[in-house]
Amino acid sequence: MSTGSLRESSFREVDLRLNQTFGSFLTGPGEGRQFDPPLGVPVVLASAFDISTNLPLIVGGIALGSIYGIVALGFVLVFKSTGVLNLAQGDFLMLGAYLSVTMLVSYDSGFLIAIVAVSLVMGALGLLIHFSVMKRLVGQPFFSIVLVTIGVGIVIRAFILMIYGPIEKGRLNALPSGSFEIGSARILWASVVIVGIIAVILVAFMLFFRYTRLGLHIRAVADNLEAAAAQGIRPDTVYAMTWGVSLALAGIAGLLYGNVNNVTVQASTIGLAAVPAAVIGGLSSLSGAVVGGLIVGVAELLVGYHLGQEWRLPMAYMLLFFMLLVKPTGLFGSKELDRV
Amino acid sequence: MNTLLRRPTKHPVLDRVSTDYRDEIKIFGKTSDKRWAMLFGVAAVIVPWLLDADLTPPMGFPWSTWFTVINLTLLAAPAAAAFSFLVGYSGQLSFAHAGFLAIGSMSVGYFGLRFGLPLVIVWLLAGVVGALIGVVVGIPALRLRGPYLLLATMGVYFIALLAWKKFLLAEFGFMGMQVPAPQLPAWTADLPWIGTDTGEGLLIRTNLSWYFVLLPMCVIPIILLSNLTRSREGRAFAAVRVRDVSASLIGINVARTKLLAFGVSSAVVSMSGALSCYYLGARGEDSFPVQLTLNFAIMIVVGGFASIQGAVFGTIFYYVLPELTRWLRSEAPIIRDVDYLQDHAGEIDLLIFGLLVVFVLMTRPDGLSGLWGDIKGWFARWPFSN
Repeated sequence: MSTGSLRESSFREVDLRLNQTFGSFLTGPGEGRQFDPPLGVPVVLASAFDISTNLPLIVGGIALGSIYGIVALGFVLVFKSTGVLNLAQGDFLMLGAYLSVTMLVSYDSGFLIAIVAVSLVMGALGLLIHFSVMKRLVGQPFFSIVLVTIGVGIVIRAFILMIYGPIEKGRLNALPSGSFEIGSARILWASVVIVGIIAVILVAFMLFFRYTRLGLHIRAVADNLEAAAAQGIRPDTVYAMTWGVSLALAGIAGLLYGNVNNVTVQASTIGLAAVPAAVIGGLSSLSGAVVGGLIVGVAELLVGYHLGQEWRLPMAYMLLFFMLLVKPTGLFGSKELDRV
Repeated sequence: MNTLLRRPTKHPVLDRVSTDYRDEIKIFGKTSDKRWAMLFGVAAVIVPWLLDADLTPPMGFPWSTWFTVINLTLLAAPAAAAFSFLVGYSGQLSFAHAGFLAIGSMSVGYFGLRFGLPLVIVWLLAGVVGALIGVVVGIPALRLRGPYLLLATMGVYFIALLAWKKFLLAEFGFMGMQVPAPQLPAWTADLPWIGTDTGEGLLIRTNLSWYFVLLPMCVIPIILLSNLTRSREGRAFAAVRVRDVSASLIGINVARTKLLAFGVSSAVVSMSGALSCYYLGARGEDSFPVQLTLNFAIMIVVGGFASIQGAVFGTIFYYVLPELTRWLRSEAPIIRDVDYLQDHAGEIDLLIFGLLVVFVLMTRPDGLSGLWGDIKGWFARWPFSN
């Protein structure tokens, strides 16, 4: 899976070509339908149960949701072990997308090399952020630290605008294009490949948390900071590694996102959708983040198609709101509400 | 090694200790505060006339642009103060801020444009609507706190945004909401100062006339808010912020206090949102991005968390900084000649802003307000200040 010799100047044409052959996977087939009650209701109901309309949406939603899932995973990882609500996760994803533009387009590297390079660079950035910023903020009010992550996000956005310019980059094409059919439903290969890659990454992370020393330490610190420190685990190292892992996940998500959507500064909105994913799964559960991501992804595409695109984020946040009111610990979270 | 174990830091504003009740309810803590307040009062009257005089200071220092900056500050300061009151003083973390600005704009669209009510009435009605919706939004706060409340209020924001978009589309179509400049009633035409020759009321359009409309609408809510923090209710807010269970044990009605905090804050924010419609003249679908809430959050934290004075300082900082960098970019001797800085003006402003936010929060958690206190203290103790 390597890219062709794609140069920045030819992005526009490539993008047009991709749109013709590839379809827009994130918005689903067609432009989406405006909700127009009351006459629209029968139409919506008729199409709401039409399998050939909904199956591509569900598959696309699973692919989008797995991207949300790993972004939310990084979000939950940082929140669980360091207690920081990292609202810059979307900006980190955007940075990952732009870095993969550099790797795949400017250096013309292979897909695997790009994944490794992006996650290494993002991981290093995570260590840097911990040692230069986050470490000095322990003990500050919760809201101030949230604001610092936003400030870091602003700095990243400014650097991206300075280096890459405000003009959007086209879609990357490292993933196979084309589609196959199940019955009358058209499924994109890219969706399937994304789900596969993310599954592999998740298995790798599960093994990392279960069988490596560092993974054990991260879990120990997340469980109980004082007890872990008393056992001789260095919280400092663990916090730094947590930030590194979280940013690496965001970077990989950015790379995959760049393959299905144009790379713009707007990519940071994905971070906003990852927040409901994390809450629905439970802010203290790593596997919950992934499940939450899938739920949000599928719900967003279905709602976005049947009711209109402007309903997507509100719907995700309505799910979050409902979940917080009914079961604040989320689907998989443990009962620990007071973590500030 | 255990530097990461959580240690509580004393907050300079929130952990202020009063020795007696009279000290607690004082408007001006020290005599010097009273002098500063008088100085600001005099400046508030003199400065607009000076700015209106169209001077040309040396080095191309912008003059009349400052008027816009001041008016924008007056517009945003109550909203920032209310946000600071809710998030900092009462400890109810909320990200629904931009949502309430949108609700204020909706009240303008409904009361001001459909029913044609005058500005002041719409302003007050926006406050009522904001308070009612704020109390409803505060209900999740009874169950949730900390990060969970923050995330739930993000949900409120997105729902309010959706409502705003639907409202805009239904009432005004794709062109967005156009708000005409407000006008004084016709009977004021004969009065001195604000009278006109045409026999109709003065059209509030110039910077100077807007200044005198915005000044009371900025100062009154801020004074009311800071009075509230000095009252019994205010101490109840502070107690609930520290620990709501303990607060309920000393006889504070926690539910009522939390809902009141949300109601008061939302009312002021909504009023500010209504006013901004009139001042800016047009509001569209994209007028209330997530970034807006974040900007207000940055204002209150850079200015000094949990202090209303800090919120005002933060607002001033937020609007003055871009003007200063623009001036430096166009006039300062060396910077003027660097092409890169000229080409990437917006990005560099963004970068400076982000770095300042991170830097201020890392080095001075009490923000500009704390810095101001230090400066005042230095002068007060002179010549013994070190």
